[in-house]
Amino acid sequence: MKHKLVRKTVREFVEAELGPIAHDIDRDARFPWEVVEKMKPLNFFGLQVPKRYGGVELDSISYAITIEEISRVSAAMGLCVTVHNSVGAYPIVIFGTEEQKRRFLPALAGGEKIGAFCLTEANAGSDAGGVETNAVKDGSDYVINGTKIFVTNGGVCGSALIFAVTDPENPRKSASVFMVQNDTPGFSVGEIEDLCGMRANQVSSLFLEDCRVPEQNLLGRRGEGLKIGLAALNTGRIGIAAQALGIAQAAFEASVKYAKERQQFKRPISSFQTIQNYLADMATEIDAARLLLYKACAYKDSGKDFGPEAAKAKLYGSCLASRVTGIAVQIHGGYGYSKEYDVERYFRDAKVTEIYEGTSEVQRMVIARSVLSQPT
Amino acid sequence: MLKLIVCIKQVPMVSELPWDSRTGTLKREVAEGMMNPACKHAVEAALYLKQKHGAHITAIAMGPPMAEEVLYEALSLGADRGILLTDKRMAGADTLVTSLILAEAIKKECTDFDLVLCGSETSDSETAQVGPQLAEELNVPGAAYVEHLEIENRIVRIKRLADDFLETMEMTLPGLVTITTGHFHPRYASMGGLEEAFNTADITILDADGLGLDPDLTGLKSSPTKILDVYSPVANKKNTVITGAVKKIVDNIFDTYGDKIGGTIGKDLKTHEHDDD
Repeated sequence: MKHKLVRKTVREFVEAELGPIAHDIDRDARFPWEVVEKMKPLNFFGLQVPKRYGGVELDSISYAITIEEISRVSAAMGLCVTVHNSVGAYPIVIFGTEEQKRRFLPALAGGEKIGAFCLTEANAGSDAGGVETNAVKDGSDYVINGTKIFVTNGGVCGSALIFAVTDPENPRKSASVFMVQNDTPGFSVGEIEDLCGMRANQVSSLFLEDCRVPEQNLLGRRGEGLKIGLAALNTGRIGIAAQALGIAQAAFEASVKYAKERQQFKRPISSFQTIQNYLADMATEIDAARLLLYKACAYKDSGKDFGPEAAKAKLYGSCLASRVTGIAVQIHGGYGYSKEYDVERYFRDAKVTEIYEGTSEVQRMVIARSVLSQPT
Repeated sequence: MLKLIVCIKQVPMVSELPWDSRTGTLKREVAEGMMNPACKHAVEAALYLKQKHGAHITAIAMGPPMAEEVLYEALSLGADRGILLTDKRMAGADTLVTSLILAEAIKKECTDFDLVLCGSETSDSETAQVGPQLAEELNVPGAAYVEHLEIENRIVRIKRLADDFLETMEMTLPGLVTITTGHFHPRYASMGGLEEAFNTADITILDADGLGLDPDLTGLKSSPTKILDVYSPVANKKNTVITGAVKKIVDNIFDTYGDKIGGTIGKDLKTHEHDDD
């Protein structure tokens, strides 16, 4: 009953507040601050933060449902919320000291600061060890220099987790994570990327030029960056799987509606077996993706190693979203290829779910590693 | 502190309305439920009073076990306690029996209430009868179709919708009001409120025995209202196709429908009949 009510509550909010503008914010690549203001008191930015730091500590299935429902209406805002919660704030919950949690989490949980996760660079993506941004110890400070690219929430973030190398002699083994506030001198935002989808999210580059932060801003231990990154991404993948599912669900619902309405050969196209087969496959695969996602959530909440399950949910969910949105465009025919219809947006939004927070190829690596490590 | 009671009903979502054709009642168990819109506004009115004066809010719902969901919703919005009245023997109760059961629950569980708030009507039956009948059963003053209310010195000052105007009235507590969907726009439940509602829910579940009701007097059989027939309205309209040149079509429309169009827009179209000749 709780999960049903979470779904209804989130759906009611996003359909009323984001629904009417979802098309326009995508077209204009505009970040809807006015909706973010309404999301803050409803705790959308403290979903996984413990109550004592101002969050609401939702269970993982409720979290996934929340992201799915936001993404069903606006994937770009689903992205904002999941990246903020799962890879912007959650690593501080897991790896932060008590002092760090008190200092950083309340502003994130209240939405006063939107979080970002900055691993990707020109020469570091799937190869997370290739980070070139460096942090040099200077007294009790670190001085950070480097450029981060394709930062989700980059243009609107108030707080960023920056991956930087702390031992130039051994860069591949010395990645560390720093919590950097956007008002730190030397921290600046590049141009907003002109992307295929997720256009309302202000994805940008971030520049760090002699950006000085106290050593108290080092998250976890020095050199623990990859460990933190992988843990963050495991959680993040639940969010992206949920986001992909929301996009697929929206495309499916639009397809069913259109197939019932669209007349060809003097009857609705839903009466043709070809269209019926499309819809049947969509319905089946969406259910499968949802169950795979909830399995990963249940693993996480019961304290099991959920990494491989999250990877499966993300791999399957994101490929499914691309497939389903493609079929949705096909069912809509020429109209589906027009920006007048939402399926065109779903189609563009879906693709990147196969790319970020670990490409499908990386998910397969994670899954295969888990499969092969089992005793035979 | 004010003691408020909000009576809320779970109604089927408008998209699907499964009827039991034999009894003429809704199959509530199979319909996806939601809180009745006017009841949501009544909850909001109670929350408004709570914020202003401090109050303890008890939400009461009657229905199948799944109706507990609307109580959780009320708790997540800020109600303090929930009471679910559920019993198969209560199924099919009409407005009279429903108000009787609600009154029994209130007398048993919340004897010292100050104000009962109900939605003005429900989206699934629209009788608007339960609130006023409940005031009678509780023997307190009642006002229906309330748009706005304030409480001062144990007097409720209400603005009540009556046809096309608002009546301002006062009544002493304890009392009952039914709230329209006009003014108290419902807030959204927060995720924290939801989490809190499910972690610390205070919901009492009562059946006919728990209420001390005579089970023979609680359900469909004992309800004086009998639903004789339920059907979907069928559109019997036929389209009229007018052909010919544009001017002839327009003349034809004015000749045939001029009075109706004129009546709707409030103009005597005949005076303009030959303006463009």
